Amino acid sequence: MKIFHDAATRIQNESIVSWKKQGKKVVGYTCSYVPAELFHAADILPVRLRGIETDGMEIGDAYFGPFICSFPKCILQLAGNGMFSFLDGAIITPGCDSMRRLDECWRKAGEDHKGIVPSYFYYFDVPHKTEPHGMDWFIQEIRNLIESIEQHFDVRITRENLVTSIREFNKGRRLLKKLEDLRSRENIVVSGTDVFAATIAGTAIPREQYTEALGQWVKTLTDKTSTANGKKRLLLIGSISDEIDLFKLIENETNAVVVAENLCFGMRYEKNEIPEDGDPVVSLANHYLGKSVCPRMYGRYKERLAALREKIERAKADGVIMQNIRFCDLHGAENALFEKDLEAEGIPCLRVEREYGPLTETGRMKLRINAFLERIA
Amino acid sequence: MTIVAGCDVGSLTSKAVIMNGRKIIASNIIKSKPRPKDSAEAVIASALEIAGVAMHEIDHCTGTGYGRDNIPFVDQVVSEISCHGKGARWMMPSAETVVDIGGQDCKAIKIDRRGHIIRFVANDKCASGTGRFLEVMAKVLGVTVDELGRLSSRSRSPVTLASTCTVWAQADVIKFINSGVAIEDIGAGINTAMASRVAILLNSVKPEGDVFMTGGVAKNIGVVSTLEKLIGRKITRARRVDPQAAGALGAALLSMEALNGNERAKK
Repeated sequence: MKIFHDAATRIQNESIVSWKKQGKKVVGYTCSYVPAELFHAADILPVRLRGIETDGMEIGDAYFGPFICSFPKCILQLAGNGMFSFLDGAIITPGCDSMRRLDECWRKAGEDHKGIVPSYFYYFDVPHKTEPHGMDWFIQEIRNLIESIEQHFDVRITRENLVTSIREFNKGRRLLKKLEDLRSRENIVVSGTDVFAATIAGTAIPREQYTEALGQWVKTLTDKTSTANGKKRLLLIGSISDEIDLFKLIENETNAVVVAENLCFGMRYEKNEIPEDGDPVVSLANHYLGKSVCPRMYGRYKERLAALREKIERAKADGVIMQNIRFCDLHGAENALFEKDLEAEGIPCLRVEREYGPLTETGRMKLRINAFLERIA
Repeated sequence: MTIVAGCDVGSLTSKAVIMNGRKIIASNIIKSKPRPKDSAEAVIASALEIAGVAMHEIDHCTGTGYGRDNIPFVDQVVSEISCHGKGARWMMPSAETVVDIGGQDCKAIKIDRRGHIIRFVANDKCASGTGRFLEVMAKVLGVTVDELGRLSSRSRSPVTLASTCTVWAQADVIKFINSGVAIEDIGAGINTAMASRVAILLNSVKPEGDVFMTGGVAKNIGVVSTLEKLIGRKITRARRVDPQAAGALGAALLSMEALNGNERAKK
């Protein structure tokens, strides 16, 4: 577990330091739509960009302004402070409008703070629909990205390499599926905090190292026995989160355990395997865009609601905590719809708005969670 | 007879209620001190004195409020949202919707016939719509919070505050004072701004049945009457007990329930 918690709580974790010492490249990316397999196939370490360890906002606020989600602002703040100096490249995606603006804000900040924009800085577009034309567009975006990586880093991303990478990532996906089954058991064998640390680590350390560590951990959990502990079982959903502290607040400060989540960085569709035959680019596109359960995708609310229902049922959740970062329109609106539909089915929901990461007001969050647990007691 | 207590350590005031059976034998409110532990000890000591009972005679005590985790003498800790729901139902047995405006937050709570939470919404964005908002505005106007509440009834042309952000609204109020606007019109504008913020919360839980108001702001007649107009429903204010002590009362009632539950469990 130590390697997962190290990766989940530090921007530049031990694995990244070791990787760089070998003279190898690291590329950061912002959203779950970027196929990390592309970088793995080129022996480049893909690392998801995060906003933890932020202790101020003087750079982030200066370029974004105050009325916008604090997550991309934290990334820019960290970039401005040199916390991403280990990056050889960065990929920005339009996961939402705030995240899209990170592209221009980071470039603009780079004019004033020299050296904060990596030499490879790429905008990876992502359609909002999965209809044939949208999928064709996304497939072309992936092909363009491959070409761009090959040119800039002077590497070759062959079909064989891509299939090998998909195969390696699938090993982790199968383990995550086992992990999801384990945490759904009646008797709790693992905390949501540890599971979340493990899923975050998957975006921050070399894949082979991750697969091995995950395999060992899942094995120890499989052999573990536990008795009922009377804790309330919660599903946590909503805005982007890579904050272990949010899980700790729920699990350490209240009598509850997070048995499932639907969070970017958490367990969403990461456990779905990608076909290892056929055109790997098409397979990657079908997975990363086609299986997305993010509210940025148009016309798929019913599928997302069905996915939540399935999670609630499988994890035997007593209630759902729906959080959204201030000014997050996508999850703010989606949470209101989810709350209306799930409450109508008798599933208790708590909707809370908050700041991201170290900016969260823990006292107010705790009060709401306490009251919610008292409601469902 | 069973003696129970509830201790509510809030951000501005700390409250204690002591009950002997179903009867309130002491209720007390003090200004909160910097440390929750000191506030709790001071308010329970004075309540015990009023009740004429000793600490060891309390059979069960429940702590609540923002300082609830730092009260040394309680048997259980419960959120103030549950406590206000419970206290409100005791004060008004027909209450189905409760609005509690405390020093630094505001909650709209739907309750069942036992006073248990069905649903709640708490203010998220900022301090506007809370007791602190009124306190700051009263200070700028040079009146007490109670006087501020009565200003609404004398106003003929209430001002409109452009923003309900506490700091910006304060700047607006100063501007109106400097422009020579009558104090009652500014006061009425402040009460309306406050009521508008609270109405947003109340509407989002869709108030049903009788609406009951707890917390210190329930004593502000200007806010209550404007809120009634905004939500189109009558709002009942506590009479038997100071509405500010509703959380402590609910805490005491939850202590009684805990004891009764234990008794039932023994049988």
